[in-house]
Amino acid sequence: MSRVIALCFLLLAGVIGFLHIDSRPVWAPFSMPVVAQVEEEPETSAVSKSKMPVKPSIANPLATWLPDTGAPSVHAASLIALNDGAIRAFWFAGSYEGAPDVSIYSAVLDPKANLWSTPTVVMDRVSAEKGLARYIAKVGNPVPSRLSDGRLQLFFVTVSIGGWAGSSISAMTSDDEGLTWSNPQRLISSPLLNLSTLVKSPAVQFADGRLGLPAYHEWVGRFGEFLRVDAGQVIDKRRMSSGRSAIQPLVFINNPQDAIAVFRQTRSAGQAKQIPVSASSNAGQSWDVMKDLPIANPNSAIAGVTLHNGPRLMVLNDIDYGRHRLVLMMGDAKGEHWQVLEVLEDDEATDPVHRKEFSYPYLISVDGNDAHLVYTWDRKKIRHRYFSGAWLMRAFNQHANVEVEDKVKELQ
Amino acid sequence: MSGYIQIIALIEVSLSCAALIILLMQKLSPKAWPFIVKAILAIALANLFFWPLGFSLELPLAAYVRGITGDFSVVTMLLLWGALIPSSKPTPLGFKVAIVVLAIVFYPFALGLGMTDPYAWGYGSITFLIDVILVAVICGLANWTKGVWIIAIAIIAWSAHWHESANLWDYLLDPFLVIWAIGTTLGAFYRRRQDKARSGYLFRPG
Repeated sequence: MSRVIALCFLLLAGVIGFLHIDSRPVWAPFSMPVVAQVEEEPETSAVSKSKMPVKPSIANPLATWLPDTGAPSVHAASLIALNDGAIRAFWFAGSYEGAPDVSIYSAVLDPKANLWSTPTVVMDRVSAEKGLARYIAKVGNPVPSRLSDGRLQLFFVTVSIGGWAGSSISAMTSDDEGLTWSNPQRLISSPLLNLSTLVKSPAVQFADGRLGLPAYHEWVGRFGEFLRVDAGQVIDKRRMSSGRSAIQPLVFINNPQDAIAVFRQTRSAGQAKQIPVSASSNAGQSWDVMKDLPIANPNSAIAGVTLHNGPRLMVLNDIDYGRHRLVLMMGDAKGEHWQVLEVLEDDEATDPVHRKEFSYPYLISVDGNDAHLVYTWDRKKIRHRYFSGAWLMRAFNQHANVEVEDKVKELQ
Repeated sequence: MSGYIQIIALIEVSLSCAALIILLMQKLSPKAWPFIVKAILAIALANLFFWPLGFSLELPLAAYVRGITGDFSVVTMLLLWGALIPSSKPTPLGFKVAIVVLAIVFYPFALGLGMTDPYAWGYGSITFLIDVILVAVICGLANWTKGVWIIAIAIIAWSAHWHESANLWDYLLDPFLVIWAIGTTLGAFYRRRQDKARSGYLFRPG
């Protein structure tokens, strides 16, 4: 008799389970950003109207430093555009990376005055402990995103035991553009004590308003995963790569169904030190490993953004070893052909022991034409650089012309 | 929503720690303890783990345990708590062996071996849910009714989003359950082997 009652209860549980699955949202296509009207290229228009080579004044890229927190070690900066046109930055700072006193800081850039506000602490170890009701040893890697309802969401990682490989992702939201934040929520994405899921690159949005968060594991395996996030919880996930060779995926959306992801390579010695690539043709529901992008990668993070008129930008260390050279690259709309637009930092001349580290870049575009970049400057400061849309297009055209001229010379 | 999830999780961890301590103490004790003693002890220990103790501790003891272990699966908790009940029927060896075999296959793939991720099935695969129900039915057919109840409660807890996880795997399986299954399975085989050797000695012609 007790067995019959138990089986009836199981039947009830089964029905509830089926209803739960049935109520889950279907997988939506990617949301495409609204394409802005492409402005006329200033150089071309000037030449065609006057028939004279007039050189328009295009401002050089601006450079600032993120405000000093007084902490000797800073890292992992990220950015998001605010509704009033300002830029909010997040980064972590403390006595050293992974120290218990590390906090996540935030400051706002007034783009008109080109000045950063005084930094404030967004999250520290003790606040994370209280919000998540568990012991937390350290915090890191803040990554902001904009929810479909207009709120900000900040993903960050916490570690309770061990190094970064023991990380888990948490998220919190803000109704006031980052001035105050909700209690954090833990994202569960791994079956082994939820260990080793980290975030570095910005989320992409689905047409239904949910987020696709490129995340990665770096403990037993080193691979990318695409988390489907709804209201601070993971509701699905898909593997973007496997094994121990690719982390920190960065997603470029081609259209509502197609996307490619580029990775930081973590391959063992003797294997190609190039950028691993995966592609999806069903809005991230499945990913296939593709041919490497033939750009050197010394096991360091890559930042990228797609501009509205098609081109893509990447900032990365385009060298086999070290992080002493950082470049800005621009690629075509398919992301197949890339060229260096500007060498942002290069410490090649310094002896290898004393070379500075330029790493962990993060790129955003506010109007779809320009680009704001932040990166770690020798672990001591965070550098911010702004590239206007006009400057980017001029630099791209100049390089394209040089390439064409070189090809013509080769043919001759 | 997040607030009650955190409190429930801390209560569960506190109760689980209390149950584990009592079971370990019981193992070391030569006498069987009455259920009422175990119940009082469980409540006392659970309170000790749940409430902040002050001193230099920022959090309750359960929060420190949870920081390392995460949330236990519903199956683990119910088996652990159920072990305190005197008339509790032992978990069948077949169930333990099944957990070990499942873990050996599941964890390597879930942790990055290949592009197939069985953990992702737990978010909303009907096939996976049917498989779990079939396992529960097998438990019932094998006359282990407790197993049916435990798996059914785990499915309901997942549907109700009882824990932080939205993945059914996290309500069914965790590394502690696997470690317990491996330990007790090996122990059972070792005892069987010893019994066999002993009986062989007794009946060996002199």
